[in-house]
Amino acid sequence: MELPRPDPDILSRRAQIVAALKTLVGDGVVSDRAGLAAFDGDALSAYRQAPLVCVLPRTREHVAAVLRFARDNEVPIVPRGAGTSLSGGALPRADGILISLARMNRILDIDIANRAVTVEPGVTNLAITRAVEAQGFYYAPDPSSQIACTIGGNIAENSGGLHCLKYGLTTNNLLSVTHITIDGETLRLGEGFGYDLMGIVTGSEGLLGIVVEATLRILPKPPVTRTLMAAFASVPAAGQCVADIIAGGIVPAAMEFMDRSCIEAVEAYCAPGYPAGAEGVLIIDADGLGSEVDAAIARIAAIARAQGAEVREATDEAARARLWAGRKAAFPAMGRLAPDMLCMDGTIPRRMLPQVLARMGAMAREYGLGFCNVFHAGDGNLHPLIIFDAMKPGELERAEAFGADILRLCVAVGGVLTGEHGVGVEKRDLMPTMFSEADLAQQQRLKCAFDAEGLLNPGKVFPTLSACIEQGHLHVGGGRMPWPNLPRY
Amino acid sequence: MIAENEAQVVEAVRQARERRSTLEIVGGGTRRSAGRPMHCEAVLDVSGLRGIVTYEPEELVLTVKPATTLAEIEAVLGARNQRLGFEPQDWSSMLGSHGISTIGGAVSSDADGPAAIRFGRGRDHLLGIRAVNGFAEAFKAGGKVVKNVTGFDIPKLVCGAWGTLCVLTELTFRVFPRAQRSVVLARRGLTPPEGSARLRQAWSSPIDATGLVYANGTAFVRLEGDGPALAEKRAFLDGFEETDAIEDGFAPGALDIWRLSCRATEAVRIADSIAAPRWYGDWAGTRLWFAAGSDKAQALAAQGAQCLRGNAPPRAGDPRAELERRVKAAFDPLGLFNPGRMA
Repeated sequence: MELPRPDPDILSRRAQIVAALKTLVGDGVVSDRAGLAAFDGDALSAYRQAPLVCVLPRTREHVAAVLRFARDNEVPIVPRGAGTSLSGGALPRADGILISLARMNRILDIDIANRAVTVEPGVTNLAITRAVEAQGFYYAPDPSSQIACTIGGNIAENSGGLHCLKYGLTTNNLLSVTHITIDGETLRLGEGFGYDLMGIVTGSEGLLGIVVEATLRILPKPPVTRTLMAAFASVPAAGQCVADIIAGGIVPAAMEFMDRSCIEAVEAYCAPGYPAGAEGVLIIDADGLGSEVDAAIARIAAIARAQGAEVREATDEAARARLWAGRKAAFPAMGRLAPDMLCMDGTIPRRMLPQVLARMGAMAREYGLGFCNVFHAGDGNLHPLIIFDAMKPGELERAEAFGADILRLCVAVGGVLTGEHGVGVEKRDLMPTMFSEADLAQQQRLKCAFDAEGLLNPGKVFPTLSACIEQGHLHVGGGRMPWPNLPRY
Repeated sequence: MIAENEAQVVEAVRQARERRSTLEIVGGGTRRSAGRPMHCEAVLDVSGLRGIVTYEPEELVLTVKPATTLAEIEAVLGARNQRLGFEPQDWSSMLGSHGISTIGGAVSSDADGPAAIRFGRGRDHLLGIRAVNGFAEAFKAGGKVVKNVTGFDIPKLVCGAWGTLCVLTELTFRVFPRAQRSVVLARRGLTPPEGSARLRQAWSSPIDATGLVYANGTAFVRLEGDGPALAEKRAFLDGFEETDAIEDGFAPGALDIWRLSCRATEAVRIADSIAAPRWYGDWAGTRLWFAAGSDKAQALAAQGAQCLRGNAPPRAGDPRAELERRVKAAFDPLGLFNPGRMA
């Protein structure tokens, strides 16, 4: 995918822009080449682009001032948390300000009585649980990058994790946010009545404004968690097991599937001890009170055995950690098989798993690329990992084409392009496979209501830009484009 | 005319656009009392948009048309031991209205029941929609799977929007398994501060209560699970006795009806300051309901309460109002749908 061509007019104003930002944010401006190289992308590592300038505000007043500056001077602005996005959500622009919220990293309030924690956006996901676990609470969304990723980024991407089926995504665990608009106006969202603007800001991938404070719901830590591994001789048997568990009224805390390629890769990497020759392994957590968990684990084991599975239950914490070690090592285990890896993220109706895996296997052979599948089986969220060597001519393009075919397949079977990683730049051009022109026009009108000039994270999520017209923000297809020099595909 | 399919809704909106004629969108018609008085030139009756579109119990996903009745949904899900986690509420007896309560109305009015404290509100369950906007264009948003972050989360926005953004034509929900057993426990004779403390204590324990209500001196806790789980959960509650149902005892009669959101620890102070003739606290005290005369309207509005029946003063001084106006215009620039209902 081609990166946008920078606006030469903005590039020519770089010195003034840097000087002006220094008056607004003081010590928080990075403008030297070496410093900017540290901010040249996120976890979608195939794409690198240093920003025009990077600012690191310390206060919400800084954020508001920078946004107003961007608006007044018509400079694009790209927000960034920890830069762990897998979809390129924080990919900078050569002609854009990168605003990193990393220095706004204070926990502002811990209110156990109201089960609420208030934080600045640069606080890491895991730090919230760390702050309340001594009192017996935790913050439920747990993206795999939780040690590094920030709450601001989690809100922008509506991040999920292993426990979404039972505990929801970020959007289901937010109480209120303080949001700053492109006009520099500070709004408290999520309190009182009126339109659910917090709901629309969450998961908007930095296109609607910047969250500078968030109040999150914390949950009492379940007293008991038990883990079970079930190994299957066929993918349909594993799929049927998942369907039977769900239809049986059990909501596991986590339910993870690995296919044969993944099992082999992790066995070679860290030997978690999954049965040799299995076509699929499920790792299942049940949590809650002891009696609930005991009943759930017993029923899950029976359902799995009815599908011919070899079932093993962890009897202590060390055994639990071992069962999970393989799943948690899936990325590094695949990563060492080749220099580069793409992690895809589609959701499918669970019942389609056997067909989808079979079709993906055939695609992999056509493309001549290695891949494996990990799958949040409870909620149907697939993570195919494609391995390739970007140094070999054409291989990145082939991997991307394979990935795009996988996502088209997800949509074709009734699923969606992204379950938790976001659209970003990665899946931007696939949006029309899921949404009609009218669907996209409605989303873009909403974008215009927040950001009429299209300065917030431009080039992400939407394949084409449309001009916003002030009166009523009417959509004009094929009309004047705000960035004539942005390539469109 | 009663619209029976999306194409008819598109046509009705197209005609309204041409004539610049405002539309009151009515399904079951049980929630028309809310908001400022409306003077719509026409009624868009969508009660013909009813029925289950698809129901896949193993996927935990249900797609329905908006005028499907709450009773029908409950029956269909119940047959497969499932339910809507947010427990959508029929307000017709509370509001003294006639008609049959529908899912579109429940979602549009944020009519979330006691179980929302455990499973989340309607906005947490609505996965996808089809709708017709004020441009007379049919569109969809969200998806039909339980985990999806593709594009803006427009389904959230239509929850609690009182039909002011678009005309819903199809709704997709995630559903939850129904518990084997459910039991309501009550502890009577508690002052509001005592009741609030009891409920907050239960809320912070791992019993996953699906109802935490304080009303008229009684704290109610609803628990779910099989026999052993219920026994283990009950051990967390001291001095509670089994009763038949959560009795909110809320009989507004001719009084105005308001609801507000607050922090659980603020509930008693706010209820005291309003001093309404009747009130009760749901969701561990984070959602308060008031029945009051018009003399309380200013005080309730000042607390950010929403008026569901009665004469609310116009909302003033909300810094979000301008952005909300632009959001409304992004869907309905001519202001055709339910004008004034959100004011």
